Amino acid sequence: MNNARRPDAVAALPAQRYVTVIAQDPSVRQNGSNGPILMAKIAVPAEDLIPGPIGYRVQVVDYDSTTRRFNGAHDLPDSLANEPPAWAKGDARILDDFRFHAQNVYALVMKTLARFEFALGRRVGWSFRTHQLKVSPHGMLDANAFYSPREEGLVFGYFAGASGETVYTCLSHDVVVHETTHALIDALRERYLDPSSPDQAAFHEGFADVIAILSVFSQPEMVRMLLAPPTKKGGTAALIDKEDVTVDALKQSALFGLAAQMGQEIQGSRGGPLRQSALLAADPRLLDSPEFQEPHRRGEVLVAAVLNGFIHVWASRIQDLGVPDQRSFAVARVAEQGADIADTLATMWIRALDYMPPVHLEFGDALSAALTADTEVRPDDSRYNLREHMRKAFATYGIEPPRSADRETGTWAHAPGGLNYDRVRFESMRSDKDEVFRFLWENRKPLEVELRKGAFTEVLSVRPCVRVGPDGFTLRETVAEYYQVARLTPAELERAGIAVPKNYLTALEEARRAAAERQAKARESAGDDNAPPAGAAGGHDVDDDESLATTPIYGGGVLIFDEYGRLKFHIHNGVFHARRQARRLKYLWETGQLEPGLREARLQAARLSTLHRLRALDARRVPAEGW
Amino acid sequence: MAAAPKAVEIRGYQVGFGDCFLLSFVYSDTDKRHVLIDFGTTELPTRGTPRKAAKASEHMPQVASHIAKVCGGSLTAVIATHRHADHISGFGTDGRTGKSGETIKAMNPKIVMQPWTEDPEAAKNATKATKESQRSPRSFTAGLTAMHNIAEAIFQLADSRPAWMSPALQKELRFLGMDNIKNKSAVDNLIAMGAAKGAAAVWAHHGSDSGLEKLLPGVKVHVLGPPDLTQTEKIRKMRTTDPDQFWHFLAGPKSLQTAEPLAKGFGNGHAGRSPAVPPEARWFRDRLERMRAEQLLQIVRTLDDQMNNTSLILLFEVFGKKLLFPGDAQIENWSYALEDAPDAARTRELLADVDVYKVGHHGSLNATPKKLLWEDFKRRNKTGSQRLVTLLSTMPGKHGKVANKTEVPRRPLLAALKAETALSSTTDLPFGKKPTFCYQIDVTP
Repeated sequence: MNNARRPDAVAALPAQRYVTVIAQDPSVRQNGSNGPILMAKIAVPAEDLIPGPIGYRVQVVDYDSTTRRFNGAHDLPDSLANEPPAWAKGDARILDDFRFHAQNVYALVMKTLARFEFALGRRVGWSFRTHQLKVSPHGMLDANAFYSPREEGLVFGYFAGASGETVYTCLSHDVVVHETTHALIDALRERYLDPSSPDQAAFHEGFADVIAILSVFSQPEMVRMLLAPPTKKGGTAALIDKEDVTVDALKQSALFGLAAQMGQEIQGSRGGPLRQSALLAADPRLLDSPEFQEPHRRGEVLVAAVLNGFIHVWASRIQDLGVPDQRSFAVARVAEQGADIADTLATMWIRALDYMPPVHLEFGDALSAALTADTEVRPDDSRYNLREHMRKAFATYGIEPPRSADRETGTWAHAPGGLNYDRVRFESMRSDKDEVFRFLWENRKPLEVELRKGAFTEVLSVRPCVRVGPDGFTLRETVAEYYQVARLTPAELERAGIAVPKNYLTALEEARRAAAERQAKARESAGDDNAPPAGAAGGHDVDDDESLATTPIYGGGVLIFDEYGRLKFHIHNGVFHARRQARRLKYLWETGQLEPGLREARLQAARLSTLHRLRALDARRVPAEGW
Repeated sequence: MAAAPKAVEIRGYQVGFGDCFLLSFVYSDTDKRHVLIDFGTTELPTRGTPRKAAKASEHMPQVASHIAKVCGGSLTAVIATHRHADHISGFGTDGRTGKSGETIKAMNPKIVMQPWTEDPEAAKNATKATKESQRSPRSFTAGLTAMHNIAEAIFQLADSRPAWMSPALQKELRFLGMDNIKNKSAVDNLIAMGAAKGAAAVWAHHGSDSGLEKLLPGVKVHVLGPPDLTQTEKIRKMRTTDPDQFWHFLAGPKSLQTAEPLAKGFGNGHAGRSPAVPPEARWFRDRLERMRAEQLLQIVRTLDDQMNNTSLILLFEVFGKKLLFPGDAQIENWSYALEDAPDAARTRELLADVDVYKVGHHGSLNATPKKLLWEDFKRRNKTGSQRLVTLLSTMPGKHGKVANKTEVPRRPLLAALKAETALSSTTDLPFGKKPTFCYQIDVTP
């Protein structure tokens, strides 16, 4: 049968296409420090772009707010063949080619999004209502790059380097992936920007670094160059010695090696995350020390733990692949293994997000989430021993799975038995928030979800997903997220058994009194005879109504259902869990993040741009010393 | 020759938002030796109808004359804790403060003390602090100079108030800009006074000799801050971070990457010659402009903090009484003295029974370390002559916002000062046609 010329045959559109980007940043060269820039070809979802470029998920706006100049809507090449040769070669001219900058940033954002969608097995929308994330590759003159949820975009700054040439943060692979990861964490776990605990404050930064660094290591060209730097003649060694693939040697060449090569000026503007984490000696007491209460420093511990795990998995895999007494290994294969493991780990950690409680995250929860996510899709870990190495690495930094997790495996315990599915409909449970809420309602006792007394509960999302393991194993699940908030007066907090810092109660009282005074003054100066006198029915008299001084406390959970609609996991933080809430309130109060207000105390949300700047400055904010 | 003072008179002068303190060590009825700590303002209180801020060019000469009268025309020492305008503008000899600096100069101070960062020799010393650091005294002081340029540019920008600048932002930028502008006249006068015949300039850092003890027998003077570069380098060894980052923006070339070009490039919006912004890009363009405004504020605030951290922290000990004058030192400067320095534990012991405390940075939220300093003060809540005396020189409504808990003076701090100490504040001095120029505290054995 000749199919070649059937006119009504429609070829399926390709799902992805290849695009040239800078492998790490302009400092990483192909052959020593004067060679062309090391480039990489990455796969991104294929789409028809319009000049900007604007696609279905990303809108690049090349506007510079410092010079107040629009650099034009860029029309990207539609295929590798149509790219200017300078791009693939890594010619220094690309540093001034804003069209290339636009491609670099567009591709890395899309690649990261695609990675998340693959790992999670479903589409991931942004945290805001519109479809496209706005990205400005030259947003402002600033040694900074940040994600702004309010402005729905990523801003990449540029600045003058020490030797006078301009340094563009948009050309740094790890910076772009880092910022995009912030946007994606925000899309999946919006509450993680709320202040809650030192771990949660550190998580955004730490996790963004983990994904960014693993993303760089997932490129075999990159790993190969780190293991076997080009010789003076321009070639690279084909073999690597046994001594050079031990844990310590790999740490040196891969972690430190990459850190040393990364553009120092860009890294300096971000606090040098890879270098900082690589330098962190394993010490279980680190997280308790005052220095590591700072979010950006604390995040480095998370990164250090993951990277340590990575190196151990890699080193042991190399040994496993060899024969006893083997003296040297093929560089290409060693590099390939490293890249594959980095890629697998990135996928594991992205999936872990679905298994993390939606509020009040601690590092131990993240670890259990990662172990559980991996076990579900890759039950047999004998090839890589990934989970064992990860657990060990985390333990050396003092991070253990929480008490509620399985003692042996560190994974989350399965959902309790005795759940009632009679009154919910299977089909609807896969997509309908109301149906999942009904399920919660029916099963609130066995699930220990406090739905009655004054806690407002909302199911935020229900999504079916299909996750595929590296060996083709397919896992179908439905992930539902619910969120709870209770706003309690001091008396109600007491009744719930939640201890409150003394000075906070005083401050609440003061705030109320100050507000009452303001109201009284306003009434006086307005001289409004129509205003209801204090205490009159219908008038809101601040003095008498104690119930106005409330404090918000949060809870929430994630429900993971299997393909038959049975609940597998319920990972949650109860809103009325007294001890934990008391600890949280104490932390928030002492760090000045809980503000007493007229009606209620407010939490000051994190501002990522400020956090990034403080990180670059390694500022110690020591809120406990402030007034 | 008197062996030791019999009393100390401390006068806190009304300079609106600023500091001006005169310490008079009374050796005998005829022998009083005076030390002036700071003399500057960024704004004076309002008076008259309609209410207008008093003019510095009228008020500051009057303060200077009052000081001259008290001192009988002669000052033992002038101390400028750091170079912010609200601490040194009064030393200026140009019209802005009515040439009040001439009056001070005419009092021939024998010692002029400033932090090491002000030493013109430092500006020439390019020796790196340590092998690992990129910083030298020269790069550090270059940073301070760059800050002036930025402040100048920001002040001008704020004055012209572009469309994207909200009134609140303008107010804050103007204030910070003005405070950080180089006060050439004041700086020159301070250097000149120190270089005059019979006078000595002292550039102090943590642990250095103040040079005052020879002129004030019976008085011990401890310099607790700021640390110099080698001292901060030693801290770095204990932390696993980049040695260059301690002083943040003043660290050297890296630090000025953004700040200086930002200052130069300001307001040079090339509106022409760029392609028109297409409709789909305008929404985000507006957001970018808003983000840029916030960025500006963040940078300026950081620079301002750095300048505060160059403040001298001085402790005077006389007849068993301790008087603490920390300028505008913020937590980073304090933490060297109270935590990181080799003699930190001793310093904390020394400060625990301070009798008189000049409230840092006009009562701001981060210049009186709560746990490291305030809570250790033993004399809080005591009665009578045992009670901690606190001195405040400030003006509310100028700096910071109540909404984000940064108002100066900070309300909880003010409440604690009133409740637990004997507080004197310039905000309580009557200020009308005939203002009360200062409050006075007498310290006796």
